[in-house]
Amino acid sequence: MRNRMKKNFRVLRELIRIRFQHLMLFRLGFFGPFFVDGSLFAVQLMVFRAVYSNVDRIGTWGEGEMILFIGTFSLINAVGMVFYFFGIRQLPDKIRSGELDLYLTKPVSPLLRLTFEQVNPGSLPLMAMSLCIIWYGAHRAGIVPRAGDVLLYLGWLAVMILLHYDMMVLIRSVCFYLVTNARLEQLEDAALELCMKLPGIAFYGIYRVVFCFLLPYGLMATLPVQSILGELRWQTALQGLAVAGAFTGLTACAWKRGLRRYNSASS
Amino acid sequence: MNIIETERLTKTYRRFKKPEGLSGSIKSLWKREYEEKAAVRDFDFALQEGELVGLIGPNGAGKTTLTKMLTGIIAPTSGRIDVMGFYPNDLKNEFKRQYAVVMGQKSQLFYELTANDTLRLFKEIYELDEKQFRETRAYFTELFGVRELMDVQVRTLSLGERMKMELMVALLHQPRILFLDEPSIGLDAIASGQIRRFLKQVNRERGTSIILTSHYMEDISTLCDRSVVIHHGCKVYDGRTDELFARYQKNKKITATFSQELPPAQNLAAEGAASLQGQAGGQSPRRPSRWEVLERTPHKLTILVPKEEASAALAAIMPWGPTDISVEEDEIGTVVERIYQDGSRGAAL
Repeated sequence: MRNRMKKNFRVLRELIRIRFQHLMLFRLGFFGPFFVDGSLFAVQLMVFRAVYSNVDRIGTWGEGEMILFIGTFSLINAVGMVFYFFGIRQLPDKIRSGELDLYLTKPVSPLLRLTFEQVNPGSLPLMAMSLCIIWYGAHRAGIVPRAGDVLLYLGWLAVMILLHYDMMVLIRSVCFYLVTNARLEQLEDAALELCMKLPGIAFYGIYRVVFCFLLPYGLMATLPVQSILGELRWQTALQGLAVAGAFTGLTACAWKRGLRRYNSASS
Repeated sequence: MNIIETERLTKTYRRFKKPEGLSGSIKSLWKREYEEKAAVRDFDFALQEGELVGLIGPNGAGKTTLTKMLTGIIAPTSGRIDVMGFYPNDLKNEFKRQYAVVMGQKSQLFYELTANDTLRLFKEIYELDEKQFRETRAYFTELFGVRELMDVQVRTLSLGERMKMELMVALLHQPRILFLDEPSIGLDAIASGQIRRFLKQVNRERGTSIILTSHYMEDISTLCDRSVVIHHGCKVYDGRTDELFARYQKNKKITATFSQELPPAQNLAAEGAASLQGQAGGQSPRRPSRWEVLERTPHKLTILVPKEEASAALAAIMPWGPTDISVEEDEIGTVVERIYQDGSRGAAL
């Protein structure tokens, strides 16, 4: 197990090294995303400002908590953009074109290779900006967290990044079973966009079922923020862990069964 | 010792039969019909360690499907499959470490980077130590004569050079079996010849077993002592390559171009008859009755002749002063069709 992890780490390091070399071949391709992602983030913030300038509270949260929430969601999104978004996004094409063949014949997890093959340093500023917003939100909300609170927050963040990753892989693994998943990706985009603006505490009834259990984007930034605010009840925490665990299991199952069903493409 | 064994190996695909027209499409929203298509059917096969076997068949015969099952890329529908003691579709890393696959139409090289960059990644994937990596790389760099190309962007290499790099990447971890799916596709005669020489050497010096899938008869005839012919997913021939060609490759296609206009058609047969008579020492004149003219324009002639009469046909053409002549073997499809017909009479296998 330890040897396997060491090997995976070495492969990962080499993939990242290769990706950097590849990006640096084209100067505009390397520097461009820093500006583009930064600009996109600024636009999102302005939209948020415009929408919430006349709203004092959402649920029990005031402006500081909401800024903390936005920063946390942006951080989850930015971590995805830096590490796995661009790699996993290619999965449907690789399944349909049969390009997955060559991943399956190498003695390394195809999912690991796909995940980290397209790391994107252009989104690193997005991570930095998200951290600034989190700090500013905490300041506005008057939170002075202790080390334990920060650790708990980071723990929840890690669980929610895993959930975000699970959702990405799961939705794209549908292509092992069906010819296309295009509409599912649109659904994913729409749910993400909504849940980036509205925290999970704003959902009730059927909306809560949809956005906390079926498309659990409503949990993603909400639980880490609730944990650092000291608002997270143990029932909600258990629910969050159960959802993350269930989606991780479902994703692993869909991926493994998908590989068995994989029929490549005629050449 | 057999390192590959299959018994009644079958791969069946289910495909949707779309009814014609819009109304058919609307009906198919509720009720669909599917048909089963066997890409590989009841395939028995064994490969001994160190063997170099050619897999021949026309497009859609099932060669690539078979290779994909042997490498674990796809799972068989039924039958038994054992490759080096593994069930390939379990996709175990211990299994994948022992073989390599090169697909002529799918590259494993990073297009914008250099071959050395790809090799570095593969070094980590196959857990090679630095010394072993350097030694193997040096061996193949020398063998393929590509030392000065190792730090050149892959996209700037020619097709032949790229194929050498593909082979180097595949052979870096010294696999026991090398699966080659159409490695010479698109290559010119010189590059194909080089690749064939390298493969022969790798097979001889390293003892690597090779399964070569190719459309090109020359690849198979030069490299493989044993050939397996597939047609419609079934094995129709498994035996010595020289016997295969002796029995089933019956004709040669001769194409000649001329700067002057050709003489009338009937002269060709007369010249041929004379030539054959000359070859027979004037004892038993033979008529070149089976010479088939495939194309005839004022400046070009293409004929199909029995291979034993090819020299007579060339002798007949030479007096007309051709500017260019090419002689081709029977195409793979023709040979397979002949084996298939023979097989249906129970003579091929």
